[in-house]
Amino acid sequence: MNALMAKGLLFAAILIGATVYVVNSMHIDLSDPINLITMIGAVAIAVLTVGVSIKYINQMKTDTASGELAEENWDGIGEYKNELPGGWAYSFLGTLIWAMWYFTVGYPVNSFSQIGQWNEEVKAYNAKFEEKYKNPNQETLEDMGRSMFLVQCAPCHGNTGDGLSGKAHDFVDGRISKKQVLDVIKKGSNQLGYQMGAMPANMVTGKDAEEIAAYVAGGMKGKQPASFGVCAGCHGADGKGMNGMAANIAEYDENLITHVIKNGKHGAIGTMPAFHDRMTPVQLKALATYIQTLRGE
Amino acid sequence: MFHWLEKNPFFFAVGVFLVIAFAGLVEILPNFAEASRPVAGLRPYTVLELAGKEVYKKDNCIACHSQLIRPFKSETDRYGQYSLSGEYAYDRPFLWGSKRTGPDLHRVGNYRTTDWHENHMWEPTSVVPGSIMPAYKHQFTNVADIETAYAEAVTVKNIFKTPYGDDIKAGKEAWEAYKPKVLAEAKAVAAQMKNKDVKDMVAAGKVPEVVALIAYLNSLGAKRYEAKK
Repeated sequence: MNALMAKGLLFAAILIGATVYVVNSMHIDLSDPINLITMIGAVAIAVLTVGVSIKYINQMKTDTASGELAEENWDGIGEYKNELPGGWAYSFLGTLIWAMWYFTVGYPVNSFSQIGQWNEEVKAYNAKFEEKYKNPNQETLEDMGRSMFLVQCAPCHGNTGDGLSGKAHDFVDGRISKKQVLDVIKKGSNQLGYQMGAMPANMVTGKDAEEIAAYVAGGMKGKQPASFGVCAGCHGADGKGMNGMAANIAEYDENLITHVIKNGKHGAIGTMPAFHDRMTPVQLKALATYIQTLRGE
Repeated sequence: MFHWLEKNPFFFAVGVFLVIAFAGLVEILPNFAEASRPVAGLRPYTVLELAGKEVYKKDNCIACHSQLIRPFKSETDRYGQYSLSGEYAYDRPFLWGSKRTGPDLHRVGNYRTTDWHENHMWEPTSVVPGSIMPAYKHQFTNVADIETAYAEAVTVKNIFKTPYGDDIKAGKEAWEAYKPKVLAEAKAVAAQMKNKDVKDMVAAGKVPEVVALIAYLNSLGAKRYEAKK
């Protein structure tokens, strides 16, 4: 063992000793695997540092110049001809092959895009939503409906659904006012996209219209006016719209809410924009459920 | 072969710059050119909407409202489809904004109406109880500058080839001939409003700022596209 080796071992011992001292003084718990691995790493760095240093110091002391000089030199300073190391050559070839894959398949197909990320996010969310709300109960629907109402509907219909003093339809006070019914009877309607098609204007007029309006606005209770037969042709004798063929004028069912949300509505009060593509069928059902709970009796 | 280059550091630096700059241009320019084209069916703003855009800038709506819906589920749920760069092709300048004290407005025309905006501009808390937005009552009396808006349309048509019709061209006569169209558009908006002063002003041939602004806000969203039917 030469003197250099002895000095190296001493230096390594000092480094390891210092490491152990720091570990002890900081009360580091070596039973934790992360701490232990870090400690082993620190010792390995000390050993490798000394080992590599000794190798190169020895080499500097004993090595002599050898090999064939390259033809080129710069102000008399030349260099030896060195073969390209095998590892380098193979990695270079490897990068060439990788580049071909990257330019043709990797970048165009697997590249990141915000839109792609959005698509994935929405897909994952929708799958989760469908799974979670496959068979929602009444309470879940009301909660979901309330939160949607507060975000999407409240700016016009008000947080409580009271229509903000006539700025929009009032869900609390009653279903539909006499004025609104008369407006529809007078102008007809073809905006909700029902299968039954357009409702012509002025099917009934004068006293008959007044009677019908009062009857519908009053919640379709009491004696049905004789002239309601005209309405019953499409809306059904009970006013429920014949299973979704025409608008349900007796109550806010899911079908009616869906058609209004999808097509928007222009009526006696003002214009409601369409909110199509913003809600899933479950959400529409939730909204209908919630709106039905708003009505104070 | 290139030893002479190694002896000339200046030309070497120039060469390196050229190579890297070229690579940059090849990567950036095609994408940029593609993204800055208008998306299919997008129409330029009408003159009244341009006047409203000026009101939007003047009253500094951009300080609290953004016009850029990012592709996040939470945003597309609330504001609608995420924004595409081609949708801003006729926005000079675009009004993306950088802060949302209020909500995003890039598709506000899809889910708000003229009478809602009227209530909201007059007294925001009357429709949104918790709102901290100030009232903009002066917009109901101030007159919007539709003539300058027309001049803007002429300018962008001539300079940027914005596809306006032949009836938009420079000159006092052209403007006088075009003015009734702007007023008709303003009347259509005012017809859906309740404020009597506003209706009277429009009937008298003046456009209150609120009418122009509402026309602009209504145009944000699906109404920016040519009717497909």
